[in-house]
This record gives sequence, structure tokens and C-alpha cells, in this order.
Amino acid sequence: MSWAWFHKLGSPKWFFSWSKPWALPLFCFGCLSLLIGLVWGLVFAPADYQQGNSFRIIYIHVPVAMLAQSCYLALGAAGFVFLVWQMKMAPVFIKAMAPIGAVMSLVALVSGAIWGKPTWGTWWVWDARLTSVLVLFFLYMGIIALQNSLEDQVLANKAAAVISVVGLINLPVIKYSVVLLETLHQGPTFTLTKKPEMPAEMWLPLLFAVIGLYCFVAGVVLWRMQSEILMSEHRSSWVKQEVTKHGF
Amino acid sequence: MAFNSLTEFLMMGTHGVYVWSAYGFSTLTLVWLVWNTLATRRKTRDTLRKRFLRNQAR
Amino acid sequence: MTYSSFFVSEFLVLWRRKQDVFNALLFFIIVVALFPIGINSSPDFLAPAAAGIVWCAAVLAILMAVESIFKEDYLDGSLEQLVVSGLSLPLLILLKVAAQWLVVVLPLLVIIPLLSEMLYLPSSGFWVLIMTLIVGTPSLFFIGVIGAALTVSIKQGAMLVMLLILPFYLPVIIFSTLAVKATQSGLPYSGLLAMLLAMSLLSLVISPFMTAIVVKASVN
Repeated sequence: MSWAWFHKLGSPKWFFSWSKPWALPLFCFGCLSLLIGLVWGLVFAPADYQQGNSFRIIYIHVPVAMLAQSCYLALGAAGFVFLVWQMKMAPVFIKAMAPIGAVMSLVALVSGAIWGKPTWGTWWVWDARLTSVLVLFFLYMGIIALQNSLEDQVLANKAAAVISVVGLINLPVIKYSVVLLETLHQGPTFTLTKKPEMPAEMWLPLLFAVIGLYCFVAGVVLWRMQSEILMSEHRSSWVKQEVTKHGF
Repeated sequence: MAFNSLTEFLMMGTHGVYVWSAYGFSTLTLVWLVWNTLATRRKTRDTLRKRFLRNQAR
Repeated sequence: MTYSSFFVSEFLVLWRRKQDVFNALLFFIIVVALFPIGINSSPDFLAPAAAGIVWCAAVLAILMAVESIFKEDYLDGSLEQLVVSGLSLPLLILLKVAAQWLVVVLPLLVIIPLLSEMLYLPSSGFWVLIMTLIVGTPSLFFIGVIGAALTVSIKQGAMLVMLLILPFYLPVIIFSTLAVKATQSGLPYSGLLAMLLAMSLLSLVISPFMTAIVVKASVN
């Protein structure tokens, strides 16, 4: 396998022209798949025999919660790549991804809370998964705040990479500890009663929604990265061409 | 089709408020994210274009 | 400058600032006092909550102390001297943190017997609490020092450090309070102490290098 593509990631110009045709199709495909999943889930999927129709929140809650975690995974990986290889695209990626991750974890928290009310009877439970998404939200907000308050760009890039990597190392420990907290408390176990096998007409729309949201986020992150690249490379001549000649 | 009529669909059994508020909040937030992204894009392009044109004129 | 002379001078500089040491201690005590005053002062509430209260206060006091660990050195240029001194920067940072740990945690341990009386902590829980503090606080320092380095060039960085670092402290608080609760209900707690020790050792290995990266980027 050739590693040329990996080294090319060091060049903003190469990345910009490579990513340009991808963003819009990815975004459109993502929206379409998400829409199919949501409409299917809302209209056609059968109601859950225990939770009734409130279970339909799963089709937005689960994809968003998955994205909230995957985004941090990607963030940590990018931070690692930057610390080891000084890859120029990595901090751009972190800066573009952090707000998306924050939005995803916020939506996961809110939709989870709304789902919790009819299912558990309360808006909030100190359940392991909810707590770890809350922590995730704080980690994202921390990265964003750090980047906003550091004026030196070189330092801001390093700082964001370091805190992402530290977060990635810590996340499993945080998750393990909140699970421990929940199980030792011996409280009422408020876990979602997952039936061993969801019927296909229930999980298929979920699959569509998850894949759709992944593509949606990929498209959005490419767009954000492109703006970021143009701004930070504004002195080079290819940016000038890009902005004045092409429609962008 | 899991519902017989539009009202039944909107009521969602007894859980209409929950389902629709969850979906409403999620949709609004995601739309805001896309709007914010595209606005940043447009602003970047306009700022840079203006800057280049000004430099050219000089 | 050698490593040992650096450690001794760091320790002495911190120790001579008696007022700072004293302030951290007073801060710790007053945060502890907030809980009985603000929530409930009956032994029924305080005895099971004591370990959690002490740990929350300790976390805040420690973070307040660690947050400014590089501030003065950054402003007077001695941080830059450390970077170019030819000695290993991660090791110097490790020594600096160790000195700070001694200065902050030792007074804390001395005051704990008094506080645990005030919070009606049973004596079995008391010794476990002391052990969790000794084993667990190093990781708080090592994680916190990363945040201190990240924000060293920001004027009003204290709040930002809190936001950045406190989420990483959750596991330490959880393991420690669970260990104390376990003894109070007669369960084994050595596994939780081992987790705390593991966290301290892991952060000891990783944090000096991460901090060194950020410090180098900050002074240039």
C-alpha cells in the first residue's frame, strides 16, 4: 500500500483541491439517507411494545450519540497525528470538528433527556451513558474555549492537539469510572430494556439514519476545513486564484 | 404504515409532545450547524476576495 | 544547575511563601465547611458524604494551586531558561510538580483528622481516605499541570483551566469516594486503590512529556 496520500495530507493546497468535489455529494447523500431513516422510523416502523411511540426518538438519539463519540475519537487521532508527524491538516481538522462534536453531544443530551421523561419518569438520571456524554460535551467546550482564547496560532494548534490526545487517553477511564459509580450505587437500574433482537423494520431505519448522519458530518467538516484552510493560507497565490476566479 | 390517520401520527399515542420536541430540537440544531458552516464559508470568501481586489487596485 | 538542586530550590521557594500555603489550606477548609452549612449538618447525612466532600474540596484547592505553577516563571523568563538549560525538560517538570505536591498535600493531610471529626467520618473510613489522598492526588497534579501549561500565556486563565481539567478529575473522585464507601459497608477496597495508583502512574508517565511539548510551544 502506498503512503503517498498520507504525506500529501501535509499540503493544504492538495487537501483543498482533493476535498472540494467531495463535500457537497457527501452532504447531500447524508441528508437523503438521514431523511429516509427518520421518515421510515417515524411513520412506518412499528411502535415498541413497552415504550410505545416514544421509542421513535431512538432514530435521532442513537445516531447523534454515536457521532458524539466518534467525533472525539477522530479528534484524538488527529491530535496524535499532529504531535507525531506535525501534519498540517490535523489542527485544521480539530478546529473544524470540535464545534460539530459539541453540537452532537448537546443534541444527544437533550433528546436523551426528552426520551427519559416518558420512559424513566424523570428528565435526568445519573446513568453511566448520560454522564459520559455530559463529560464529552464539557471536553468539546474546553477545546473550543482553549482555541478561542489562545491568540498565537502555532500554540493554539499544539494546545488543541495535546488536550485532544489527553482526552482520548482519559475517556475510557472516565467511562469505566461512571459505570462503576452506577453499578455500586445499587439504585434502580434505569437501563433501556433492549430486547435481544430488534425486528428488521425497527433497526433498518436506524442504520440508514446512522450512515446518513456520518456522511452529513463528513460533508460539514470538509466545508469547515476548507474555509479554515483558505483563511490560514490567505497569503499563497493559489488561494487568490481560488477565491477570485472560481466561484468557490 | 404504523398509523391510520394524520392526527394519530401527530399524537404519537400519548407521547407526541416528547417525540416532536426531541425531533424539533435536533432538527433546529443541525440546521443551525449547517447554516453556521455555510455562513463562515461565505464570509471567508468575501473577506479574502475583497482583500485581494483591494491589493490589486493598489 | 542539577536536578537535585533544582528540586530543592523549587521546594524552598514554595515553602517560604507561607502565605500561599496557608491560603490554600484555608480555602480547602472553607469549601469543606460549605457543605454542612449549605446542605445538612446532621451526622446521618455527613458521615456517608464526608469522603466526597473532602475530595471535592481537595480537587478545587489542588487545581487552584496547580493552575498558577508556571505563571511566575513564564512572566520573569525563568521558564525559558528551563527550556534551554540543557537538562531534560520533562524531568524538570516532574520535579517541579513533585515539589508542589509536597507543599500542598502535606498540610492537607495534617488537617484531615480535624475535618473528618467535624464531618463524623468513622475511623475505618478515615484511614482509607488518607490512603486515597496519598495515592490519588499525584494524578490530579500531573493532569492539572497540563492545563496550567496550556493556559500559561493567557492572562485570565484560571477559569479556563477549571473547564479544561475538571472533567478529567471525575474518575479520581469516583474511585476515591467509592473506596471509602466500600470500607464503610465492609467491602474490599484494594482494587479501587489500585485503580488510583494506576491513574497516578499513567499520568506520571504521560503528563511530563505532554506538558513539555506545550511549554516549549508557549515560550517560543
